[in-house]
Amino acid sequence: MSGASRTSRTLGGLTARLVALGLAAFVIVGPLLSLGLWSLAERWTYPAAWPQRLGLRYWSRMLTGDFLDPLKTGLGIAVIVTAAALLCAVPLGYALARLAFPGRTLVLLAFLLPQAFPQLPVFAAATREFYRWGLAGTVTGVVLVHLVGGLVFAVWTMAAVFRSIDPVLEEAAHNLGASATRAFLTVSLPLAVPGIVASALLVFLYSLDEFTGTLLVGAPFVTTLPVYMYTASQGYELQIASVTALVLMVPGAVLLLLLERVLRAEYLTFFGQI
Amino acid sequence: MGVSLVASFSREGQWTLANYETVWRLYARDVLYTVGVAAAGSILTFAAAIPLCGWLRARAFGPVEFLLKVPLFVPFVVVGHALRVFWSPYLPGFATSWLGIAAALAWKHLGLAVLLLLGAFRGVDESFLEAARQLGSGTTRVTRDILVPMAAPALAVSAVLIFSSMLASFSIPLMLGRGSGAQMLMIDVYYRFGQHGDFETASALGVVSYLLAIGAALVYVRRLTH
Repeated sequence: MSGASRTSRTLGGLTARLVALGLAAFVIVGPLLSLGLWSLAERWTYPAAWPQRLGLRYWSRMLTGDFLDPLKTGLGIAVIVTAAALLCAVPLGYALARLAFPGRTLVLLAFLLPQAFPQLPVFAAATREFYRWGLAGTVTGVVLVHLVGGLVFAVWTMAAVFRSIDPVLEEAAHNLGASATRAFLTVSLPLAVPGIVASALLVFLYSLDEFTGTLLVGAPFVTTLPVYMYTASQGYELQIASVTALVLMVPGAVLLLLLERVLRAEYLTFFGQI
Repeated sequence: MGVSLVASFSREGQWTLANYETVWRLYARDVLYTVGVAAAGSILTFAAAIPLCGWLRARAFGPVEFLLKVPLFVPFVVVGHALRVFWSPYLPGFATSWLGIAAALAWKHLGLAVLLLLGAFRGVDESFLEAARQLGSGTTRVTRDILVPMAAPALAVSAVLIFSSMLASFSIPLMLGRGSGAQMLMIDVYYRFGQHGDFETASALGVVSYLLAIGAALVYVRRLTH
Protein backbone atom coordinates (compact mmCIF):
# COMPACT_ATOMS: atom_id res chain seq x y z
CA MET A 1 0.00 0.00 0.00
CA SER A 2 1.36 3.46 -0.82
CA GLY A 3 1.81 6.13 1.83
CA ALA A 4 -0.92 8.35 0.44
CA SER A 5 -3.60 5.66 0.45
CA ARG A 6 -2.62 4.59 3.97
CA THR A 7 -3.03 8.20 5.13
CA SER A 8 -6.45 8.43 3.49
CA ARG A 9 -7.51 5.14 5.14
CA THR A 10 -6.42 6.40 8.54
CA LEU A 11 -8.28 9.65 7.92
CA GLY A 12 -11.34 7.65 6.84
CA GLY A 13 -11.15 5.60 10.02
CA LEU A 14 -10.84 8.73 12.14
CA THR A 15 -13.82 10.36 10.41
CA ALA A 16 -15.89 7.22 10.92
CA ARG A 17 -15.01 7.26 14.63
CA LEU A 18 -15.91 10.91 15.03
CA VAL A 19 -19.21 10.46 13.19
CA ALA A 20 -20.08 7.40 15.29
CA LEU A 21 -19.16 9.19 18.49
CA GLY A 22 -21.19 12.26 17.53
CA LEU A 23 -24.24 10.16 16.64
CA ALA A 24 -24.03 8.00 19.74
CA ALA A 25 -23.57 11.06 21.93
CA PHE A 26 -26.59 12.80 20.40
CA VAL A 27 -28.88 9.77 20.56
CA ILE A 28 -27.81 8.52 23.99
CA VAL A 29 -26.72 11.63 25.87
CA GLY A 30 -29.19 14.07 24.23
CA PRO A 31 -32.29 12.89 26.12
CA LEU A 32 -30.34 12.80 29.39
CA LEU A 33 -29.07 16.34 28.83
CA SER A 34 -32.58 17.51 28.12
CA LEU A 35 -33.58 16.13 31.53
CA GLY A 36 -30.93 18.43 32.98
CA LEU A 37 -32.22 21.36 30.97
CA TRP A 38 -35.83 20.71 32.03
CA SER A 39 -34.79 20.48 35.66
CA LEU A 40 -33.36 24.00 35.37
CA ALA A 41 -36.18 25.47 33.27
CA GLU A 42 -38.25 27.78 35.43
CA ARG A 43 -40.30 28.73 32.41
CA TRP A 44 -40.40 26.91 29.10
CA THR A 45 -43.44 27.20 26.91
CA TYR A 46 -43.94 25.85 23.42
CA PRO A 47 -42.77 26.71 20.72
CA ALA A 48 -39.55 28.15 22.20
CA ALA A 49 -36.49 26.03 21.42
CA TRP A 50 -34.85 27.08 24.71
CA PRO A 51 -36.30 27.79 28.17
CA GLN A 52 -37.34 31.40 28.75
CA ARG A 53 -35.96 31.38 32.28
CA LEU A 54 -33.37 29.14 33.90
CA GLY A 55 -32.87 28.72 37.63
CA LEU A 56 -32.44 26.38 40.55
CA ARG A 57 -35.95 26.83 41.97
CA TYR A 58 -36.99 23.23 41.29
CA TRP A 59 -33.76 21.76 42.63
CA SER A 60 -34.33 23.60 45.90
CA ARG A 61 -37.63 21.71 46.19
CA MET A 62 -35.57 18.56 46.73
CA LEU A 63 -34.89 19.68 50.28
CA THR A 64 -38.60 19.63 51.15
CA GLY A 65 -40.62 16.78 52.60
CA ASP A 66 -42.53 15.85 49.45
CA PHE A 67 -39.24 14.83 47.83
CA LEU A 68 -37.36 13.51 50.85
CA ASP A 69 -40.17 11.28 52.13
CA PRO A 70 -40.40 9.11 48.99
CA LEU A 71 -36.59 9.00 48.92
CA LYS A 72 -36.46 7.68 52.50
CA THR A 73 -39.31 5.23 51.90
CA GLY A 74 -37.60 3.86 48.79
CA LEU A 75 -34.20 3.53 50.49
CA GLY A 76 -35.74 1.78 53.50
CA ILE A 77 -37.61 -0.69 51.29
CA ALA A 78 -34.47 -1.33 49.21
CA VAL A 79 -32.41 -2.13 52.33
CA ILE A 80 -35.00 -4.64 53.63
CA VAL A 81 -35.45 -6.25 50.19
CA THR A 82 -31.69 -6.58 49.67
CA ALA A 83 -31.10 -8.17 53.09
CA ALA A 84 -34.02 -10.59 52.73
CA ALA A 85 -33.14 -11.55 49.14
CA LEU A 86 -29.50 -12.29 49.97
CA LEU A 87 -30.34 -14.29 53.09
CA CYS A 88 -32.32 -16.64 50.85
CA ALA A 89 -30.10 -16.42 47.78
CA VAL A 90 -26.69 -17.24 49.26
CA PRO A 91 -27.63 -20.76 50.48
CA LEU A 92 -29.96 -21.36 47.54
CA GLY A 93 -27.40 -20.17 44.99
CA TYR A 94 -24.81 -22.42 46.59
CA ALA A 95 -27.13 -25.42 46.48
CA LEU A 96 -28.01 -24.78 42.84
CA ALA A 97 -24.36 -24.42 41.86
CA ARG A 98 -22.96 -27.38 43.80
CA LEU A 99 -25.56 -29.99 44.56
CA ALA A 100 -27.30 -32.23 42.11
CA PHE A 101 -30.70 -32.70 43.74
CA PRO A 102 -33.88 -33.91 42.07
CA GLY A 103 -35.93 -31.06 40.66
CA ARG A 104 -32.94 -28.75 40.40
CA THR A 105 -33.89 -27.70 36.88
CA LEU A 106 -37.44 -27.05 38.06
CA VAL A 107 -36.19 -24.72 40.80
CA LEU A 108 -34.04 -22.88 38.27
CA LEU A 109 -37.01 -22.59 35.93
CA ALA A 110 -39.24 -21.30 38.71
CA PHE A 111 -36.73 -18.54 39.28
CA LEU A 112 -36.15 -17.73 35.65
CA LEU A 113 -39.51 -18.02 33.92
CA PRO A 114 -41.11 -15.00 35.62
CA GLN A 115 -38.48 -12.95 33.78
CA ALA A 116 -39.82 -14.13 30.43
CA PHE A 117 -43.45 -13.20 30.96
CA PRO A 118 -45.08 -9.78 31.33
CA GLN A 119 -44.97 -8.79 34.99
CA LEU A 120 -47.95 -6.49 35.22
CA PRO A 121 -50.73 -9.13 35.16
CA VAL A 122 -48.82 -11.05 37.85
CA PHE A 123 -48.55 -7.92 39.99
CA ALA A 124 -52.26 -7.26 39.45
CA ALA A 125 -53.05 -10.75 40.78
CA ALA A 126 -50.72 -10.17 43.74
CA THR A 127 -52.40 -6.83 44.47
CA ARG A 128 -55.80 -8.50 44.54
CA GLU A 129 -54.60 -11.16 46.99
CA PHE A 130 -52.90 -8.47 49.11
CA TYR A 131 -56.22 -6.63 49.43
CA ARG A 132 -57.67 -9.75 51.04
CA TRP A 133 -54.80 -10.01 53.51
CA GLY A 134 -54.70 -6.29 54.25
CA LEU A 135 -51.24 -5.89 52.68
CA ALA A 136 -52.22 -3.57 49.84
CA GLY A 137 -50.93 -0.04 50.32
CA THR A 138 -48.44 -1.16 52.99
CA VAL A 139 -44.64 -1.18 53.02
CA THR A 140 -44.75 -4.94 53.74
CA GLY A 141 -46.77 -5.48 50.56
CA VAL A 142 -44.27 -3.47 48.48
CA VAL A 143 -41.33 -5.36 50.02
CA LEU A 144 -42.97 -8.68 49.12
CA VAL A 145 -43.56 -7.58 45.53
CA HIS A 146 -39.96 -6.37 45.20
CA LEU A 147 -38.75 -9.70 46.53
CA VAL A 148 -40.28 -11.47 43.52
CA GLY A 149 -37.84 -9.76 41.15
CA GLY A 150 -35.11 -9.26 43.73
CA LEU A 151 -34.87 -12.97 44.47
CA VAL A 152 -34.54 -13.79 40.78
CA PHE A 153 -31.59 -11.41 40.43
CA ALA A 154 -29.97 -12.57 43.65
CA VAL A 155 -30.36 -16.33 43.09
CA TRP A 156 -29.05 -16.15 39.53
CA THR A 157 -26.04 -14.03 40.34
CA MET A 158 -25.20 -16.09 43.44
CA ALA A 159 -25.46 -19.37 41.52
CA ALA A 160 -23.08 -17.91 38.90
CA VAL A 161 -20.68 -16.74 41.62
CA PHE A 162 -20.53 -20.15 43.34
CA ARG A 163 -20.14 -21.91 39.98
CA SER A 164 -17.06 -19.81 39.33
CA ILE A 165 -15.39 -20.93 42.59
CA ASP A 166 -13.37 -24.12 42.13
CA PRO A 167 -14.87 -27.00 44.21
CA VAL A 168 -11.35 -28.40 44.63
CA LEU A 169 -10.68 -25.76 47.30
CA GLU A 170 -13.50 -27.08 49.47
CA GLU A 171 -12.39 -30.66 48.89
CA ALA A 172 -9.00 -29.69 50.23
CA ALA A 173 -10.68 -28.36 53.37
CA HIS A 174 -12.63 -31.61 53.71
CA ASN A 175 -9.42 -33.61 53.42
CA LEU A 176 -7.96 -31.57 56.25
CA GLY A 177 -10.93 -32.58 58.37
CA ALA A 178 -13.33 -29.65 58.00
CA SER A 179 -17.07 -30.34 58.09
CA ALA A 180 -19.21 -29.36 55.09
CA THR A 181 -20.54 -26.30 56.91
CA ARG A 182 -17.10 -25.25 58.04
CA ALA A 183 -15.64 -25.71 54.56
CA PHE A 184 -18.41 -23.50 53.17
CA LEU A 185 -17.98 -20.81 55.83
CA THR A 186 -14.19 -20.67 55.71
CA VAL A 187 -13.48 -21.34 52.03
CA SER A 188 -16.33 -20.63 49.61
CA LEU A 189 -18.12 -17.84 51.46
CA PRO A 190 -15.08 -15.52 51.80
CA LEU A 191 -14.20 -16.13 48.14
CA ALA A 192 -17.77 -15.22 47.19
CA VAL A 193 -17.74 -11.86 48.97
CA PRO A 194 -17.12 -9.71 45.85
CA GLY A 195 -19.94 -11.55 44.09
CA ILE A 196 -22.23 -11.12 47.10
CA VAL A 197 -21.52 -7.38 47.12
CA ALA A 198 -22.25 -7.14 43.40
CA SER A 199 -25.44 -9.13 43.82
CA ALA A 200 -26.55 -6.95 46.75
CA LEU A 201 -25.95 -3.80 44.74
CA LEU A 202 -28.00 -5.17 41.85
CA VAL A 203 -30.95 -6.05 44.08
CA PHE A 204 -30.71 -2.70 45.88
CA LEU A 205 -30.78 -0.85 42.58
CA TYR A 206 -33.66 -2.96 41.29
CA SER A 207 -35.73 -2.21 44.37
CA LEU A 208 -34.93 1.50 44.26
CA ASP A 209 -35.99 1.80 40.61
CA GLU A 210 -38.92 -0.65 40.63
CA PHE A 211 -42.04 1.11 39.43
CA THR A 212 -44.77 -1.23 38.17
CA GLY A 213 -45.21 -3.35 41.28
CA THR A 214 -44.86 -0.38 43.60
CA LEU A 215 -47.51 1.56 41.70
CA LEU A 216 -49.99 -1.33 41.87
CA VAL A 217 -49.38 -2.65 45.38
CA GLY A 218 -48.26 0.50 47.12
CA ALA A 219 -50.97 2.86 45.88
CA PRO A 220 -52.09 5.15 47.37
CA PHE A 221 -50.10 5.11 50.63
CA VAL A 222 -46.58 3.97 49.72
CA THR A 223 -44.73 6.42 47.47
CA THR A 224 -41.18 5.75 46.31
CA LEU A 225 -39.23 8.06 44.00
CA PRO A 226 -40.33 6.45 40.68
CA VAL A 227 -43.99 6.69 41.75
CA TYR A 228 -43.44 10.28 42.88
CA MET A 229 -41.94 11.04 39.49
CA TYR A 230 -44.92 9.52 37.68
CA THR A 231 -47.38 11.53 39.77
CA ALA A 232 -45.42 14.72 39.06
CA SER A 233 -45.32 14.10 35.31
CA GLN A 234 -49.08 13.35 35.30
CA GLY A 235 -49.66 16.76 36.83
CA TYR A 236 -47.53 18.36 34.09
CA GLU A 237 -44.86 19.21 36.65
CA LEU A 238 -42.21 18.23 34.14
CA GLN A 239 -39.46 20.03 36.05
CA ILE A 240 -40.13 18.14 39.30
CA ALA A 241 -40.25 14.88 37.36
CA SER A 242 -36.96 15.74 35.63
CA VAL A 243 -35.19 16.50 38.91
CA THR A 244 -36.43 13.16 40.29
CA ALA A 245 -35.38 11.32 37.11
CA LEU A 246 -31.84 12.69 37.43
CA VAL A 247 -31.66 11.62 41.08
CA LEU A 248 -32.91 8.14 40.10
CA MET A 249 -30.11 7.80 37.56
CA VAL A 250 -27.32 8.48 40.05
CA PRO A 251 -27.07 5.06 41.74
CA GLY A 252 -27.13 3.25 38.40
CA ALA A 253 -24.46 5.52 36.94
CA VAL A 254 -22.16 5.11 39.93
CA LEU A 255 -22.66 1.36 39.86
CA LEU A 256 -21.94 1.04 36.17
CA LEU A 257 -18.71 2.98 36.54
CA LEU A 258 -17.67 0.95 39.60
CA LEU A 259 -18.74 -2.44 38.40
CA GLU A 260 -17.75 -2.39 34.75
CA ARG A 261 -14.40 -3.80 35.77
CA VAL A 262 -15.75 -6.28 38.31
CA LEU A 263 -18.99 -7.52 36.79
CA ARG A 264 -19.28 -10.07 34.06
CA ALA A 265 -21.46 -9.30 31.06
CA GLU A 266 -23.95 -11.81 32.41
CA TYR A 267 -24.81 -9.52 35.33
CA LEU A 268 -24.97 -6.49 33.08
CA THR A 269 -27.87 -8.05 31.21
CA PHE A 270 -29.81 -7.90 34.46
CA PHE A 271 -29.46 -4.13 34.40
CA GLY A 272 -31.46 -4.04 31.19
CA GLN A 273 -34.49 -5.44 32.97
CA ILE A 274 -34.92 -2.65 35.51
CA MET B 1 -49.72 -16.40 36.93
CA GLY B 2 -51.93 -19.27 38.02
CA VAL B 3 -54.32 -16.84 39.71
CA SER B 4 -54.69 -14.77 36.57
CA LEU B 5 -55.14 -17.90 34.43
CA VAL B 6 -58.00 -19.15 36.61
CA ALA B 7 -59.57 -15.71 36.91
CA SER B 8 -59.50 -15.20 33.16
CA PHE B 9 -61.89 -18.14 32.71
CA SER B 10 -64.29 -17.22 35.49
CA ARG B 11 -67.02 -14.65 35.98
CA GLU B 12 -69.06 -14.38 39.18
CA GLY B 13 -67.99 -17.86 40.22
CA GLN B 14 -68.89 -19.50 36.89
CA TRP B 15 -66.51 -20.99 34.32
CA THR B 16 -66.92 -18.99 31.13
CA LEU B 17 -65.19 -17.57 28.08
CA ALA B 18 -66.96 -14.23 28.52
CA ASN B 19 -63.76 -12.42 29.51
CA TYR B 20 -62.09 -13.46 26.27
CA GLU B 21 -65.13 -12.25 24.36
CA THR B 22 -64.70 -8.88 26.07
CA VAL B 23 -61.03 -8.86 25.13
CA TRP B 24 -61.93 -9.66 21.52
CA ARG B 25 -64.63 -7.00 21.44
CA LEU B 26 -62.72 -4.17 23.12
CA TYR B 27 -59.05 -4.95 22.74
CA ALA B 28 -58.46 -6.85 19.47
CA ARG B 29 -57.11 -3.67 17.88
CA ASP B 30 -54.83 -3.01 20.87
CA VAL B 31 -53.34 -6.51 20.65
CA LEU B 32 -52.40 -5.87 17.02
CA TYR B 33 -51.15 -2.39 17.88
CA THR B 34 -48.94 -3.78 20.66
CA VAL B 35 -47.46 -6.46 18.42
CA GLY B 36 -46.87 -3.82 15.74
CA VAL B 37 -45.15 -1.38 18.08
CA ALA B 38 -43.01 -4.14 19.60
CA ALA B 39 -42.03 -5.34 16.11
CA ALA B 40 -41.21 -1.80 14.98
CA GLY B 41 -39.22 -1.23 18.16
CA SER B 42 -37.26 -4.45 17.66
CA ILE B 43 -36.53 -3.58 14.03
CA LEU B 44 -35.28 -0.13 15.05
CA THR B 45 -33.12 -1.64 17.80
CA PHE B 46 -31.40 -4.13 15.49
CA ALA B 47 -31.17 -1.68 12.58
CA ALA B 48 -28.96 0.38 14.89
CA ALA B 49 -27.26 -2.44 16.80
CA ILE B 50 -26.16 -4.69 13.89
CA PRO B 51 -24.11 -2.14 11.91
CA LEU B 52 -22.74 -0.59 15.12
CA CYS B 53 -21.63 -3.95 16.50
CA GLY B 54 -20.16 -4.94 13.12
CA TRP B 55 -18.15 -1.76 13.12
CA LEU B 56 -17.10 -2.18 16.75
CA ARG B 57 -16.07 -5.79 16.01
CA ALA B 58 -13.75 -4.54 13.28
CA ARG B 59 -12.23 -1.77 15.36
CA ALA B 60 -12.98 -1.54 19.06
CA PHE B 61 -13.69 2.04 20.10
CA GLY B 62 -14.17 2.40 23.84
CA PRO B 63 -16.11 5.67 24.05
CA VAL B 64 -18.86 4.55 21.64
CA GLU B 65 -19.09 1.14 23.28
CA PHE B 66 -19.49 2.79 26.68
CA LEU B 67 -22.17 5.18 25.44
CA LEU B 68 -24.15 2.32 23.96
CA LYS B 69 -24.19 0.55 27.33
CA VAL B 70 -25.66 3.62 29.07
CA PRO B 71 -29.35 2.70 28.43
CA LEU B 72 -28.80 -0.49 30.44
CA PHE B 73 -28.74 1.40 33.70
CA VAL B 74 -31.34 4.06 32.97
CA PRO B 75 -34.56 2.78 34.52
CA PHE B 76 -37.60 2.31 32.26
CA VAL B 77 -39.59 5.07 33.98
CA VAL B 78 -36.74 7.53 33.51
CA VAL B 79 -36.37 6.60 29.82
CA GLY B 80 -40.06 7.30 29.20
CA HIS B 81 -39.92 10.67 30.88
CA ALA B 82 -36.54 11.68 29.41
CA LEU B 83 -37.66 11.02 25.84
CA ARG B 84 -40.97 12.77 26.43
CA VAL B 85 -39.22 16.00 27.48
CA PHE B 86 -36.48 15.54 24.85
CA TRP B 87 -38.99 15.45 22.00
CA SER B 88 -41.79 17.64 23.27
CA PRO B 89 -40.31 21.10 22.59
CA TYR B 90 -39.23 20.17 19.04
CA LEU B 91 -41.51 17.36 17.87
CA PRO B 92 -44.85 17.91 19.59
CA GLY B 93 -47.01 14.81 19.41
CA PHE B 94 -44.17 12.47 18.44
CA ALA B 95 -43.83 10.99 21.94
CA THR B 96 -47.42 9.77 21.90
CA SER B 97 -47.33 8.36 18.36
CA TRP B 98 -46.75 4.65 17.69
CA LEU B 99 -43.34 5.50 16.24
CA GLY B 100 -42.45 7.52 19.32
CA ILE B 101 -43.26 4.60 21.62
CA ALA B 102 -41.28 2.22 19.36
CA ALA B 103 -38.31 4.63 19.30
CA ALA B 104 -38.37 5.00 23.10
CA LEU B 105 -38.47 1.22 23.53
CA ALA B 106 -35.61 0.90 21.04
CA TRP B 107 -33.58 3.46 23.00
CA LYS B 108 -33.94 1.47 26.20
CA HIS B 109 -33.20 -1.91 24.59
CA LEU B 110 -30.23 -0.75 22.52
CA GLY B 111 -27.88 -1.32 25.45
CA LEU B 112 -29.01 -4.91 25.88
CA ALA B 113 -28.90 -5.61 22.13
CA VAL B 114 -25.35 -4.24 21.83
CA LEU B 115 -24.21 -6.23 24.86
CA LEU B 116 -25.57 -9.52 23.50
CA LEU B 117 -24.63 -8.96 19.84
CA LEU B 118 -21.14 -7.65 20.44
CA GLY B 119 -20.46 -10.69 22.60
CA ALA B 120 -21.66 -12.98 19.82
CA PHE B 121 -19.74 -11.08 17.11
CA ARG B 122 -16.55 -11.21 19.19
CA GLY B 123 -17.03 -14.95 19.47
CA VAL B 124 -16.66 -15.32 15.70
CA ASP B 125 -13.16 -16.51 14.89
CA GLU B 126 -10.78 -13.83 13.62
CA SER B 127 -9.49 -15.99 10.76
CA PHE B 128 -12.86 -15.83 8.93
CA LEU B 129 -12.82 -12.04 9.04
CA GLU B 130 -9.19 -11.93 8.02
CA ALA B 131 -9.90 -14.10 4.99
CA ALA B 132 -12.80 -11.88 3.93
CA ARG B 133 -10.70 -8.75 4.33
CA GLN B 134 -7.93 -10.28 2.22
CA LEU B 135 -10.53 -10.73 -0.51
CA GLY B 136 -11.36 -7.04 -0.27
CA SER B 137 -14.54 -7.02 1.84
CA GLY B 138 -15.27 -3.87 3.81
CA THR B 139 -16.89 -3.75 7.24
CA THR B 140 -20.41 -3.72 5.78
CA ARG B 141 -19.87 -6.89 3.76
CA VAL B 142 -18.05 -8.63 6.60
CA THR B 143 -20.98 -7.86 8.91
CA ARG B 144 -23.62 -8.91 6.39
CA ASP B 145 -21.98 -12.02 4.96
CA ILE B 146 -20.00 -13.38 7.90
CA LEU B 147 -20.87 -11.94 11.31
CA VAL B 148 -24.67 -12.00 11.01
CA PRO B 149 -24.92 -15.55 9.61
CA MET B 150 -22.40 -16.93 12.11
CA ALA B 151 -24.01 -15.18 15.05
CA ALA B 152 -27.53 -16.01 13.82
CA PRO B 153 -28.52 -18.13 16.86
CA ALA B 154 -27.50 -15.41 19.31
CA LEU B 155 -29.20 -12.82 17.11
CA ALA B 156 -32.44 -14.81 17.08
CA VAL B 157 -32.37 -15.28 20.86
CA SER B 158 -31.78 -11.61 21.58
CA ALA B 159 -34.50 -10.63 19.08
CA VAL B 160 -37.03 -12.88 20.83
CA LEU B 161 -36.08 -11.57 24.28
CA ILE B 162 -36.22 -7.93 23.20
CA PHE B 163 -39.51 -8.34 21.32
CA SER B 164 -41.12 -10.00 24.36
CA SER B 165 -39.80 -7.34 26.69
CA MET B 166 -41.26 -4.63 24.44
CA LEU B 167 -44.65 -6.38 24.39
CA ALA B 168 -44.64 -6.33 28.17
CA SER B 169 -43.56 -2.70 28.48
CA PHE B 170 -45.63 -0.60 30.81
CA SER B 171 -43.56 2.23 32.29
CA ILE B 172 -42.34 3.68 29.00
CA PRO B 173 -45.74 4.03 27.26
CA LEU B 174 -47.26 5.22 30.54
CA MET B 175 -44.64 7.95 30.99
CA LEU B 176 -44.86 9.04 27.35
CA GLY B 177 -48.49 9.72 28.12
CA ARG B 178 -50.58 8.55 25.20
CA GLY B 179 -54.09 9.65 26.12
CA SER B 180 -56.29 8.35 23.33
CA GLY B 181 -56.36 5.88 20.44
CA ALA B 182 -54.97 2.35 20.51
CA GLN B 183 -52.93 1.51 23.60
CA MET B 184 -50.18 -0.89 24.56
CA LEU B 185 -51.60 -4.04 26.21
CA MET B 186 -50.09 -3.46 29.64
CA ILE B 187 -51.68 -0.01 29.83
CA ASP B 188 -55.02 -1.70 29.10
CA VAL B 189 -54.41 -4.30 31.82
CA TYR B 190 -53.54 -1.54 34.29
CA TYR B 191 -56.64 0.55 33.62
CA ARG B 192 -58.96 -2.44 33.36
CA PHE B 193 -57.82 -3.56 36.79
CA GLY B 194 -57.15 -0.23 38.47
CA GLN B 195 -59.97 1.93 37.17
CA HIS B 196 -62.72 -0.54 36.28
CA GLY B 197 -61.87 -3.03 39.01
CA ASP B 198 -62.45 -5.73 36.39
CA PHE B 199 -59.82 -8.26 37.41
CA GLU B 200 -61.23 -11.07 35.25
CA THR B 201 -60.96 -9.21 31.93
CA ALA B 202 -57.59 -7.78 33.00
CA SER B 203 -56.45 -11.38 33.59
CA ALA B 204 -57.71 -12.51 30.19
CA LEU B 205 -55.68 -9.67 28.64
CA GLY B 206 -52.74 -10.83 30.73
CA VAL B 207 -53.09 -14.40 29.45
CA VAL B 208 -53.08 -13.06 25.87
CA SER B 209 -49.82 -11.27 26.68
CA TYR B 210 -48.36 -14.48 28.19
CA LEU B 211 -49.13 -16.29 24.94
CA LEU B 212 -47.42 -13.56 22.93
CA ALA B 213 -44.35 -13.85 25.15
CA ILE B 214 -44.14 -17.64 24.91
CA GLY B 215 -41.09 -17.37 22.62
CA ALA B 216 -39.06 -15.80 25.40
CA ALA B 217 -40.12 -18.53 27.80
CA LEU B 218 -38.96 -21.18 25.32
CA VAL B 219 -35.59 -19.43 25.03
CA TYR B 220 -35.14 -19.62 28.79
CA VAL B 221 -36.25 -23.26 28.96
CA ARG B 222 -33.82 -24.22 26.19
CA ARG B 223 -31.01 -22.32 27.84
CA LEU B 224 -31.53 -24.32 31.03
CA THR B 225 -31.99 -27.74 29.52
CA HIS B 226 -28.92 -27.54 27.28
